[in-house]
Amino acid sequence: MNLNWLSAFLITGLFSVVMVAGLALLLHLQLGLTRIANFGVVGFFGTGMYVYGVLYVRVDWPFGDPWQFLVCALAGTVAAGIAGTVVGWLIADLDVDAMLLGTFGFATMVFILATTQKSLTGGALGMGGLRFPYKLGTVKANEALWLLILVIIVAGILFYVARVHRSPYGRMLIAVGDNEALARSLGKPAFRAKLLQFTVGSAGMGLLGVMYGVLERFLVNTNLGVELTLAAVVALVLGGSARVWGGVIGAVLTIGVFDIVVQSYLPLPKSWYGQAIPVVKQMVYGATLIAVLMFRPLGILGGMRRDKLMRRVHGA
Amino acid sequence: MPDNTETPARHQIRVEEAVKSFSGRVVVDVDHMLLGDRPIEGLIGPNGAGKTTLMRMIMHATGLDRGTVTLIPNGSGGDEVVLSRLPTHRMAGLGVVKSNQVIMDFEKLTIWDSLLLSVADAKQETPYRMFGEKALFEQHEEEMREHLEFFGFADPTLHAMSAGEKKLLDIVRCLLLKPRFLMLDEPTAGLPDEMTEKVMQRVRALADAGTAIVIVEHDLNVIWKLCDEVHFMAEGKLILRGTPDEIRRHHTVIEKYLGEGHV
Amino acid sequence: MEFIGESIVIGLTQHAPLILAAMGFALIYRLTGTINVAYSETLTLGAYFGMWVNTNLGWTFYFSLIPAGLLAGLLSVGTYFAFFRPAKLRGMGALEVIILSFGLSIFLRYGLQFVFGYPVRFYDVGTTTTYRILGTGVSAFRVMALASVLILAVGLYLFIQKSSYGLQIRALASDEDLAKASGIRPLFVTTLIWFIAGVAGGLAGAFYGVNSNVSYLLGWRQFLFIFLVVMVAGRKSIGSVIIAGAATGIALAALNLRLSQSLYAQLVLILAFMVILKVRGRRMAETGKV
Repeated sequence: MNLNWLSAFLITGLFSVVMVAGLALLLHLQLGLTRIANFGVVGFFGTGMYVYGVLYVRVDWPFGDPWQFLVCALAGTVAAGIAGTVVGWLIADLDVDAMLLGTFGFATMVFILATTQKSLTGGALGMGGLRFPYKLGTVKANEALWLLILVIIVAGILFYVARVHRSPYGRMLIAVGDNEALARSLGKPAFRAKLLQFTVGSAGMGLLGVMYGVLERFLVNTNLGVELTLAAVVALVLGGSARVWGGVIGAVLTIGVFDIVVQSYLPLPKSWYGQAIPVVKQMVYGATLIAVLMFRPLGILGGMRRDKLMRRVHGA
Repeated sequence: MPDNTETPARHQIRVEEAVKSFSGRVVVDVDHMLLGDRPIEGLIGPNGAGKTTLMRMIMHATGLDRGTVTLIPNGSGGDEVVLSRLPTHRMAGLGVVKSNQVIMDFEKLTIWDSLLLSVADAKQETPYRMFGEKALFEQHEEEMREHLEFFGFADPTLHAMSAGEKKLLDIVRCLLLKPRFLMLDEPTAGLPDEMTEKVMQRVRALADAGTAIVIVEHDLNVIWKLCDEVHFMAEGKLILRGTPDEIRRHHTVIEKYLGEGHV
Repeated sequence: MEFIGESIVIGLTQHAPLILAAMGFALIYRLTGTINVAYSETLTLGAYFGMWVNTNLGWTFYFSLIPAGLLAGLLSVGTYFAFFRPAKLRGMGALEVIILSFGLSIFLRYGLQFVFGYPVRFYDVGTTTTYRILGTGVSAFRVMALASVLILAVGLYLFIQKSSYGLQIRALASDEDLAKASGIRPLFVTTLIWFIAGVAGGLAGAFYGVNSNVSYLLGWRQFLFIFLVVMVAGRKSIGSVIIAGAATGIALAALNLRLSQSLYAQLVLILAFMVILKVRGRRMAETGKV
């Protein structure tokens, strides 16, 4: 198969767009529907990535790939889910400020653990030894297949989110996020619902972390900074935090623009790429958040149109 | 041939030694209160008497400083349940439902959404039930449409707009929960007269079928007309209890709290 | 005993700026009820500008504190008028304001890097003599810095608790309508609060900067702990923030001395604070209309 048209930059760029779209979709369920403020996205992402990586490299498995990959990926996802349960239990019945603190504090703790457990994780120097669970000949072919697998996973997440909107479960989440006291009086177990949903969302973020770790084939704690949380939040807010497709559109317009168009296709001076472009990128992300919230808080796609949805699903 | 004089058994709620304070001020202090003895009971009293707080304590929406609230499920059989030890979301499953005094609505949800939310049970609202919407709708379509038509909701795919619509929707949500013990907190406030009449029709039908009803009302005409028993509260305490006639005989006490012209 | 002495000395000299920063953050938090994530950038700006004045104009550290604090105060007021006041007038929800301040923080952080350059910078203060306090060696400079921070913190506390402006600030924070009815001008008092908070942040940043180095991450690195200290201190008087800040600094130093890696100290404290918040959260007031 001729992959000459697919440059290495394009593969990693597309991977970033799809990955952030996936994170934004999961964040949409948490932040957009149930109104749980998760500022620790990178913590759950990183938990999945590091648990996967450490188990994959440090444990002497009696079987090889793809089973080694599958077992470790499952472990990483479950670990992120468990982290979601614990953090969720701590914050689900507290106010917004405490949620911010709890999730952000958690992400910081993940960073600290990854940095201090040098024998396991390689600390600030990082750790290699990860590889794709298959061999297709060229690195580019491997990466392209991996990108395809990620697209399938994120498409699955998108399908799930769309179904949630159309299901009794989604309605209950929206009710809990909208007016929790009223939802409780109607018999909805708000705390349990938030906890369960946070667990599932965090597990999903962990899985995306696993995918990223394999693509990079290298774990380093600089991947655990707040930039990834910011990217997911900007993508979601820009596209529309209340809409299914919001995170996807936002990811394309932010990561897509910066990591693909600007990185690869704009003829800018080479010296800018080292330091100026990454800095300007973050400034633009910050400015985008401010501008959207000030002038069009519901993002590009606007508010939830449940009247349209009800008409479509149930008729008049 | 069924014995028509036998009314079905009703749930009752017993409040004992219940005390609640806010910022040092005692808002509710009830030694003993039994609700649900008679089909439709009224709870009256001046503003600040603690009526709403008491009902919120029964729902455990607000905690009790002291005391217990117990459900006696005569309607469904079974043992007594101490409500004051359960979280609020368990109330609906036990048949204990309360409507809201102030307008409470889901901004983001349409009228259909509100109704479907009420009729759905926990098993249908789990993260892995992705395709249950159609079945849920078909299962309850008839009863939902019946309520919509009776109360005159025009287009249920829309959101509730006016304050009156939201108040009505709140009540319909309560009705769809199939309550065995229904507390209505000022259900007629903000409703036009025909709607008030319709609500009362439904309430009477529920009472006849065995649901215990407790109504808080400021419009005393509704109370005298509808209730078999009236509890009068003031300053957090239960002052009087009796039939509407008995209560009206104590008109000096009533007037002391509510001013003249109510009896 | 030596351990306790060491912890106190190191904790206070190293983390004294946390007290100032937490007080500034608490001023805004108690008034507006929301978290201003961009507050950490007032620290960074104070450090950068103080360093710039110190290295480019040759001012001593203590003189450079004045422009550092003033500029940070102006930045704070600027963000209030540009973003936080319009947001409040628009009725923006608490969550949205937090996200907005998050975006502002990112914008300012990288903007400062753009303005002041990418390399890490240093204050020019020369070497000083070393004292022994409670058995621990500490540079004279650090002792002076600690003393200054404590003086500023106490000064701020007295201002809030005793002065007439402080009284207006506290009145506005507890009940805005009542304050307005009493003739307090909310816009003036609010602007004053944002300015003082910014000054406190800028000065804290300058002290952090002179004790280590100045980089665009200086303020952001402190954000989590500033936030934790203010949340744990609760909503009582500004004095509880001083105590919580000092206790945190000492605890950090103590843990640092006992645990093998310095980051572990942070880890333990974050966990401890989160547990405190969870336990305290259960005792939140029950208001509500349902």
